[in-house]
Amino acid sequence: MGSLMISANSFIDTFTEFCGKLTAWATLAMMLCTCFVVVARYLFGSGSIALQETVLYLHAFAFMLGTAFTLKRSGHVRVDIFYRHFSLRRRALVDAFGVVFFLLPTCGLIFWLSFDYVSNSWAIYEHSPESAGLPWVYLLKSLLLVMPTLLLLQGIAEFLKSFAILRSPANTSLTASE
Amino acid sequence: MIELLPLFMFLAVCLVILLGYPVAFSLAGIAILFAAFGSAIGHFDMAFLQALPNRLYGTMVNQTLVAIPLFILMGIMLEKSRLAEDLLNNMAQLFGKVRGGLGISVVMVGALLAASTGIVGATVVTMGLMSLPTMLKRGYNPAFAAGTICATGTLGQIIPPSIALVLLGDILSTAYAQAQLSMGIFAPKTVSVGDLFMGAVIPGLILVGCYCTYICVYARLRPDNAPAANEQVSVSTVALLSSLAPPMLLIIAVLGSILSGIATPTEAAGVGAFGASLLALLRRQLSLQRLQQVLEGTVEVTAMVFMILIGAAIFSLVFRGFGGEELVSSMFASIPGGALGATLAVMIVIFILGFILDFIEITFVVVPIVGPALLAMGVDPIWLGIMIAVNLQTSFLTPPFGFALFYLRGVAPKEVLTSNIYRGVMPYIGIQLAVLLLLALWPSLVTWLPGQVN
Repeated sequence: MGSLMISANSFIDTFTEFCGKLTAWATLAMMLCTCFVVVARYLFGSGSIALQETVLYLHAFAFMLGTAFTLKRSGHVRVDIFYRHFSLRRRALVDAFGVVFFLLPTCGLIFWLSFDYVSNSWAIYEHSPESAGLPWVYLLKSLLLVMPTLLLLQGIAEFLKSFAILRSPANTSLTASE
Repeated sequence: MIELLPLFMFLAVCLVILLGYPVAFSLAGIAILFAAFGSAIGHFDMAFLQALPNRLYGTMVNQTLVAIPLFILMGIMLEKSRLAEDLLNNMAQLFGKVRGGLGISVVMVGALLAASTGIVGATVVTMGLMSLPTMLKRGYNPAFAAGTICATGTLGQIIPPSIALVLLGDILSTAYAQAQLSMGIFAPKTVSVGDLFMGAVIPGLILVGCYCTYICVYARLRPDNAPAANEQVSVSTVALLSSLAPPMLLIIAVLGSILSGIATPTEAAGVGAFGASLLALLRRQLSLQRLQQVLEGTVEVTAMVFMILIGAAIFSLVFRGFGGEELVSSMFASIPGGALGATLAVMIVIFILGFILDFIEITFVVVPIVGPALLAMGVDPIWLGIMIAVNLQTSFLTPPFGFALFYLRGVAPKEVLTSNIYRGVMPYIGIQLAVLLLLALWPSLVTWLPGQVN
């Protein structure tokens, strides 16, 4: 693998890992906010719409930014009835094929379709439908563009990894350890 | 021929996912390829896809789905802080003197653990690692031990508060509204996640009861295969109960607050996750590093679930664009036996799909397609949801493709033969089918409890 490819790969990996760690803490914040909402409601009898919406924002933030991280950690469910018995090379072939024909079109489609939707929201700096809600709906909607971008980046990194395995002659006879 | 395109798309997905590329992207990718093809031959209107951003945004701000990451956090916290493991050990000591007592402990702990993760694979793997070696060491028959663990792992689909039921409840409520709208009812009745939880209580208890009965009977008939612990345990009952009580109370509190309607599933999940963290902290099992692990695990599983949701959303938009819904409705109409025949057909299809798709994928892909049509024929939504859940549970257990079996095979020691696992699950499959039949004959087993509360 060329040194440019290696450094691109490791840069993307580091970046995705960073995003993943960030979103991980978002889930903790989510839990704490939910508890605050509950305490406020049942002990003090006051519901805070802004706090409830904060939980929604954190939730959306976590799973939209977490997809790329999950891809890197190979946490997306596979039907591995056959895959688990494949050689390392054949797995790399499936993964490379998957990136090109499934992952890239998916990211492209989501980005392309969401672009106008998000820019319309930015044009009016869309506010929550609730008057006491958070005024950042346009930022929340922007996740629809951020998600495919991050996923696409990590997809490229995964493709480079598979490509390296396919290119490397040392791996031709290797079988998977599992 | 061209009107069968949605069917081909579905078959294409089933074939392609066997390659082993992540299901979420395969679903979306195949749908996009079909859409591009259909649009090229003038049979698909790309405008159908315009609904996608709004749909995805709807997912982001869906109050019910917020419960998912919180329940996952609670489950992973209970698992990683060894609470579940200690619970199992304590229970095993409590019931250890009884023949088959360890087996019963495995069922109980597995049911509680599975309920909070709701993902068959995770539960089977955890239970397999935690309890299989102990069971074998105690002299349990390998087939019996393996069967018990697999069956227990699938129990999590149905025992509330399983995330499977949260997802199913969300999808069914949409489908139910849609079905009533299509029948011209403009003030539709609703079905909530809480209703589904409530409906699952009696069937869940029946299943757990049947499992435990089977274990007791088996242990009595074959004492050598499920022996009682022979070592003298010197732990005082008080110490035992004080370690058992906190996690049990936590889970009961979470469940109770949802079932009694005090809290929404989301609120209960948040407080439950907090309680689990507090327990872990009190037991000095929560270092910063472990917290990081738990949170990262939460993100991984959450993003996995929601990516499937996104993939399935793209798939179902394309499916609809090709006229798939009309196709399904007309197929249902042509099945003899009306609602009953159609339900049976759906159950068989779901059972077979359960060989290749996990609960989440079936909930997001299949239920939105068949749900509205079935519900429009007058099928009760809560009953349908529970039937789907128990049906899938059985599917996950059935050799040679059952998910639970694969996962256990992955973590079981070599002495446990694959044929042992297959043989061990057979009685449990029998129990499941019997319960399924019971629920089909007496739907009130499901619908009675929710009806009492509403």
